Amino acid sequence: MPLRRSSVLFALALLVAAACAPATTPGGTTTPSATAGGAASTLVIYDDTSDLISLDPAVLYEFSGVLLAHNVYETLVRFEGTDLANIKPGLATSWDIKEGPSTTDITFKLKSGVKFASGNALTADDVVYSVQRAIKLNKSPAFLFTDVAGLKEDSVKASDPTTVVFSLPKTASAQAFLSILTFTLGSVVDSKEVKAKESAGDSGSGYLLDHSAGSGPFVVDHWAKNTEVLIKANPNYGGTKPALGGVLTKHVPESTNQQFALEKGDADIARDLTPQQISALQGKAGVTTTSANSLLLVYVGMNAMVKPLDNVNVREALRTAVDYDGIVKDLLKGNAKKVQGIIPQGLAGHNESAPFQQDVAKAQALMKQANVDKVTLDFLIPTGQAPGGTAWADLAAKLQADWGKIGVTVNIKQTTTADLLGTYRAQKGQLVMINWGPDYPDPDANVAPFTDYKAKSIAFRNGWDDATIAQKGHDAALITDPAKRATAYKEITEYVLHNGPYVVLYQPTALFGLRSNVKGFAWSAIGWADYAAVSK
Amino acid sequence: MRFVGFLTRRIVGIAAVMVGVSIITFAISHVIPADPAVAALGDHATPDQIAAFRAEYHLDRPLGEQYVTYVTGILRGDLGRSIRTRRPVAEDLADFFPATIELSFAALLVSIVVGLPAGVWSAVFRGRLPDHLVRVLSLVGGSIPVFWLGLIVIGLGYYQLGWFPGGGRIDTFVAPPPTRTGLYVVDSLLAGDLDALRSSLIHLVLPALTLGYFSTAVVARMTRSSMLEVLGQDYIRTARAKGLHERLVVWRHGLRNALIPTVTIIGLIFGSLLSGAVLTETIFSWPGLGRYATASAISLDFPAVLGVTLLAAVVYPVANLVVDIAYFWLDPRTQRG
Amino acid sequence: MAERAVAAFPMRASRVVARAPILRNPLNVTAIALIAAFTLCALFAPLLAPHDPLAQSLGTRLEPPSSAHWLGTDQLGRDLASRLLYGARISLFIGILVVVSAGAFGTLVGLVAGYAGGLVDELLMRLTEVFLAFPALILAMAIAGALGPSLTNAIIAIAAVTWAVYARLVRGQILSLRRREFVEAARSIGASHMRILARHLLPNAVAPLLIQASFDMGSAIISAAGLSFIGFGAQPPTPEWGVMISEGRNFISTQPWLSLFPGLAILLAVGAFNLLGDGLRDVLDPRLRGPLA
Repeated sequence: MPLRRSSVLFALALLVAAACAPATTPGGTTTPSATAGGAASTLVIYDDTSDLISLDPAVLYEFSGVLLAHNVYETLVRFEGTDLANIKPGLATSWDIKEGPSTTDITFKLKSGVKFASGNALTADDVVYSVQRAIKLNKSPAFLFTDVAGLKEDSVKASDPTTVVFSLPKTASAQAFLSILTFTLGSVVDSKEVKAKESAGDSGSGYLLDHSAGSGPFVVDHWAKNTEVLIKANPNYGGTKPALGGVLTKHVPESTNQQFALEKGDADIARDLTPQQISALQGKAGVTTTSANSLLLVYVGMNAMVKPLDNVNVREALRTAVDYDGIVKDLLKGNAKKVQGIIPQGLAGHNESAPFQQDVAKAQALMKQANVDKVTLDFLIPTGQAPGGTAWADLAAKLQADWGKIGVTVNIKQTTTADLLGTYRAQKGQLVMINWGPDYPDPDANVAPFTDYKAKSIAFRNGWDDATIAQKGHDAALITDPAKRATAYKEITEYVLHNGPYVVLYQPTALFGLRSNVKGFAWSAIGWADYAAVSK
Repeated sequence: MRFVGFLTRRIVGIAAVMVGVSIITFAISHVIPADPAVAALGDHATPDQIAAFRAEYHLDRPLGEQYVTYVTGILRGDLGRSIRTRRPVAEDLADFFPATIELSFAALLVSIVVGLPAGVWSAVFRGRLPDHLVRVLSLVGGSIPVFWLGLIVIGLGYYQLGWFPGGGRIDTFVAPPPTRTGLYVVDSLLAGDLDALRSSLIHLVLPALTLGYFSTAVVARMTRSSMLEVLGQDYIRTARAKGLHERLVVWRHGLRNALIPTVTIIGLIFGSLLSGAVLTETIFSWPGLGRYATASAISLDFPAVLGVTLLAAVVYPVANLVVDIAYFWLDPRTQRG
Repeated sequence: MAERAVAAFPMRASRVVARAPILRNPLNVTAIALIAAFTLCALFAPLLAPHDPLAQSLGTRLEPPSSAHWLGTDQLGRDLASRLLYGARISLFIGILVVVSAGAFGTLVGLVAGYAGGLVDELLMRLTEVFLAFPALILAMAIAGALGPSLTNAIIAIAAVTWAVYARLVRGQILSLRRREFVEAARSIGASHMRILARHLLPNAVAPLLIQASFDMGSAIISAAGLSFIGFGAQPPTPEWGVMISEGRNFISTQPWLSLFPGLAILLAVGAFNLLGDGLRDVLDPRLRGPLA
């Protein structure tokens, strides 16, 4: 009897569950299907893809999305492999920059015979459509076209099926624009395909959210939200066919699970391992590790509108009190570069000078010079892991101890990135620790936000309004001669190093754990890898 | 007839609770001026983009108006759009809730299958070794932090021993069954897909044990104490005196009567399993509601947080209602309401 | 977290507030001794701790347990044993604050509801249902997410999901007591409402409250640790046990002690309060005294 009753109960409970579960599956619900070519030819990547919101190149602006879209779409020009200094032909075979009377005109000649995954031929109309679509949608990345390059919908024209002309205003840098075009925002989408999938004037963004319409080496197979994304080899791809049948990115945020799965052979690549885990993996059978450059900078912003941070000597004292070597060598186990300027290594104009290392006596002297004895400040930090693989909390505790030595007491306030950015953007932070990565691989992508108060970015958030240095930054952006540009940036970075409201802590290294049989994986500092070159 | 009246009253009660829950959650998510648009658009967004986003999501409207929009939406079955995922919250919930339901049911099953016999066993052997064993294990179960247990379980069961998979709902290279209920076990049974069934079952083991340990302990303790009470009753003594076999006395007469309080506790457990699922899902990469809730709370995605809380808040009373209905059947003398 | 189920353990009316019998059971003695030990650790952490819990030493980070560092050192070279000792402070503090605030508020609501009856009772009980309907951790996450992560907000959040149980308990006790003779007698000789509540009803409702409070100490500690684990709790560098587990999990294959010891500390502390709750119930509830002792 009791058994029967408990089974009735259980059946009842099941009914409730069935009622709660989706009775009919909405059209878009993805059912993860069997993977292409099975385990042997599918690369399995364990990654924290919490930031993934769309696979549409005109919408996405997050690390996970950029990495995937980069392998699915092609752009007019591109950076090859890990080289970020030389812009190479992509869909365009050549380009020509002409100074017009009121605009700078750039003419691209398209490669012939390129086909989309759908089989449609790629023409100049597709390029024009893609750019106009991105401007019209005006999502997160669109400002690169509209603000940085000054494009409007009518700034791009197809003069014949293989020629596209962009007209830039004189205030925009043609070089920066070419850099922007290498980014996923510059992806060329299949206009016929996308127009066919448009609904309610969404320019096809509902469809491209989890489908693809590109010409790259891979196509999107499915995206099971919060679980995995599978991209499969594109049979119509015109370039060298990828060795892999597909790449499966599994959403596994816990780095411990990533490490376990890699050692067990369930994962081919683990993306979020800490330096400690990487060194634990070394010497283990079947696994290998690799590191790559990134263009991120981890820094502390000091609000120059808050006393005593308005005093340049106090800011210099805070910079001088930090044990950078301890952070880089111990906390990060050497997986970072001691960079203290605002331009990271890997971009033109990077300043090698890193003069700061903990000098308590000197820092105390600077405090004395500023006539500041004891001070208490709020120190806002994000939750989770900082780039490079140490917890933000540990980094903050380290800085708290360092600054404590010169009479600066900081109250650590750890909060969600959302909350932190809200405070920071409103100029309400005192000390704020966060990281910054350039939007496109050009020094201006760092110098403008770090120096120009009017850009309402980092300098603004820290209340640092220095019109002279901002103007110098603007001028430097437009210099075309590389040597002259480098000289200009040296002056700027040197000035910011001692006068700016920043403590640049380090430039992290990206760490990867791989199965030993994975070959050809090369990470570009801008945040992507070409999966077409990878084999296993 | 009495049953219908009881049911009506309960359903009206649940509706009233939902209104309260929606107001409280809405208030909570709007008490601070933190801006979800900043969270959604990130570090690099320009002020213009943020303004546009706020307008798109009606974040620039007065609070009262936002609430009215929200509630009228709910009445149409529209829970609003998630600020983080940019998808309708209802779609997100439909995607993620079945995974949590499946995990919770598996954990519930563990607690019944293990907890009930353990409790009976413990009561029958009162004061002897089995009793001590069960009591110690349930004390630990009631005191162990579920996230810590999860770390240990995954470290042992997956990393060290390799007996069970280390997270997720199904094997990487096994295709999930076609979606009917969203519960992989049920769906693969319906589709007759044995590979998927085996894989989804084995993926359930570690997370269900982790999540279910606490409730197993509760069920075992509950069963033990009500068994002890029942076994001391006159009619049991009578049954024994009549010379009935001891096993029959215990399982037939004893458990039957001891079950009523245990059934009550199961309803309460189900609500609490949802909370435990938040942490368990984090450890086991389980694509369920708990992980969705955490991510949403972190990014101040209040339409999503509201959706989750509403759903979670309806599960608890509904689970209790189901239990009460079962109760009604178990013991017709009960008058409830 | 599943703390509500603990609260759902059967609570029975009791007439007798017992004195010594609690010490008759060795389990209860163990529980009391453990709690006393934790309290002593918390009170005298500065004297007992071999090191400053915040003192860093990057040169000796991630060291295994040794004579210099009994439980090893963490990722910043801080002494784990000292951090655990100070952590007892935080956990006990959380437990007490949650139980006192939730208990006081819940008792007040329960008293009002039970004594006033009628519409007030109906409204207040609906309100408790709303709060009981929330899965604790999800509501706590919503609160902590909105207010920003901090220990204070975690305590507010946990108290917010805990008080309703007390309200129901007290109300139930009042309802069963108010018709009893001594209350009727007090009323007939013209005692005021406040006096009846304070002198007659409340003391009689104390026993089940004590039992509940003991269980809630444990569940508050676990809940706070859970909130900290997912980043909605204590601020760094506070040596909170849940935070320590969370920090230690990335070192689990190389330095397992970093997450092992704080987990054991939680298990012991919460276990002790649950044991005490059991013991109190056995003693305070005559009907169960025999079989469960």
